[in-house]
Amino acid sequence: MSTGKVIVSAESVVMDYQTPTGIKHVLNDISFSLLEGEFASIVGPSGVGKTTLLRLLTGLMQPTSGTIRINGEVVTSPPPGLAVVLQDYTRSLMPWLTVEKNISLPLKRLGLSKTEIAETIELVLTEVGLRGNQKNYPWQLSGGMQQRVAIARAIAVRPQLLIMDEPFASVDAQTRFDLEDLVLKVRDDFKITTAMVTHDIDEAVYLSDKVVVLYGSPADVKEIVKVDLPYPRNQVASRGREEFAELRTKIYAQVRGLQ
Amino acid sequence: MKGANISVIRRFLPGVVSMLGFMLLWQLGTSFGPLSGGSLPSAINAISALGALFVLPEIWLAIGQTLFIALTGLLISVVLGIPAGVLVGLSPFAYRSLKPVLDFFKVIPPIVIIPIVILVFGPTTEMGIFLVVFANFFMLVFQSAYGVRDLDTVLLDTLRCYGMTKWDEIWHARIPGALPFIAVGVRIAVAASMIVAVVAGLIGGAPSLGQQMLLYQSSGQPNQTFAIVIIFGVLGLGLARIYSRLQRKIVFWTD
Ligand SMILES: Nc1ncnc2c1ncn2[C@@H]1O[C@H](COP(=O)(O)OP(=O)(O)OP(=O)(O)O)[C@@H](O)[C@H]1O
Ligand SMILES: [Mg+2]
Repeated sequence: MSTGKVIVSAESVVMDYQTPTGIKHVLNDISFSLLEGEFASIVGPSGVGKTTLLRLLTGLMQPTSGTIRINGEVVTSPPPGLAVVLQDYTRSLMPWLTVEKNISLPLKRLGLSKTEIAETIELVLTEVGLRGNQKNYPWQLSGGMQQRVAIARAIAVRPQLLIMDEPFASVDAQTRFDLEDLVLKVRDDFKITTAMVTHDIDEAVYLSDKVVVLYGSPADVKEIVKVDLPYPRNQVASRGREEFAELRTKIYAQVRGLQ
Repeated sequence: MKGANISVIRRFLPGVVSMLGFMLLWQLGTSFGPLSGGSLPSAINAISALGALFVLPEIWLAIGQTLFIALTGLLISVVLGIPAGVLVGLSPFAYRSLKPVLDFFKVIPPIVIIPIVILVFGPTTEMGIFLVVFANFFMLVFQSAYGVRDLDTVLLDTLRCYGMTKWDEIWHARIPGALPFIAVGVRIAVAASMIVAVVAGLIGGAPSLGQQMLLYQSSGQPNQTFAIVIIFGVLGLGLARIYSRLQRKIVFWTD
């Protein structure tokens, strides 16, 4: 699914936080790369530094040392062509704006005309199964639907890179499966390079081409596990395969520090 | 239709009943209880005095003056206080520099500056308006500044990742995000404006219901004095109701 062009690269990334009690070393020496069209998950124990790594990838923060490049350029602020879906949809959508306005706000700077914007919104809402919800407010929708709006907003900007931090952590199990399949579909339709943090190892295996396992304090990349499950993937068949079970057991052991 | 009638009754009946109960207690308390025989008027006396007051032009004038002082002061403090607060909140430096000043003025009750204000304005309507503005301004500045600063970090991160300009961030996120805080400030200001408008008359001698009340009290007319308390209560309640409706429209996404 990948053309071999490097979109994201992290080179010897170190991150320390200054805290009132002193310096906290969070990331020790992180290197990995993400090819065009690839889907990578970042997993690791709670508090290991997954969100920290994502924030560095977005350019919202600068690493203490090492570099992050996107398209070969060192990232110092959020690069063009970036889209994000964060865990807490109640906090990432603006309750005072309709679904339509929430999606169109990031679109404005792309210089699209009014009709192009309306068409884009129609297209992405259809993609996520929310056609006709333009005029609703986020709080009128269920949690799963709100996260779909956040996904629609992300794909509306035609991003080159999509970054997601535990995007499905606050929805129920059934909705979670639906949203995972939505992400697979979106990815197939739009060919977006994606980096996603998740706590759910099964989810990481199900969705990814590679899983970056962080471990330790400060954290290192324990291993980058390639996932060769065939496409198209599907909840029953893919999860039932023998490789699936092997991969999840292996990653589980690494996250638990057993290997 | 019938269902609607029943739900209207359900909604208002408890309030009406407890109001009547309160009146009854008041009447009984002033007729038989330990309060009887004092100068505290009974419910019936106060209410009939209230009826009699309504034919007096000076009462209508006093109501008008009170509302004028309260609403003009409210308007001025809203128009000055909210933008000032938004600006202060948008600049971390301004916020840090001005917060001690705001905190200081916020805790000064408007009553204590009446002697000073009278020196400047005399016992006038302007004095009343100034007091109302003084009572509200710093609180509104504080609420607005706090509101624009309080933007959720997840939302802020999201907007920054999408390359939103500073202006979009302010206009589409910080200001609407501050509205619930501002609305609470205005709610407090609505109540405070009425109180201060009356106090300005009662203590500062500005023309208002407070001044009328003082007049009745000093001429030994407890029934009328009490009737004014009731007028004041009704006016305050009315304003609060009107504002509640407005508030629900402005910050429609909160509940
Ligand atoms: N702004 C900050 N200042 C100081 N320390 C921080 C800051 N942000 C995170 N940390 C610390 O850095 C470590 C990694 O945090 P991070 O949020 O990246 O972990 P995470 O892997 O995303 O955790 P979780 O799985 O719970 O989401 C934690 O120990 C956290 O307390
Ligand atoms: Mg995290």
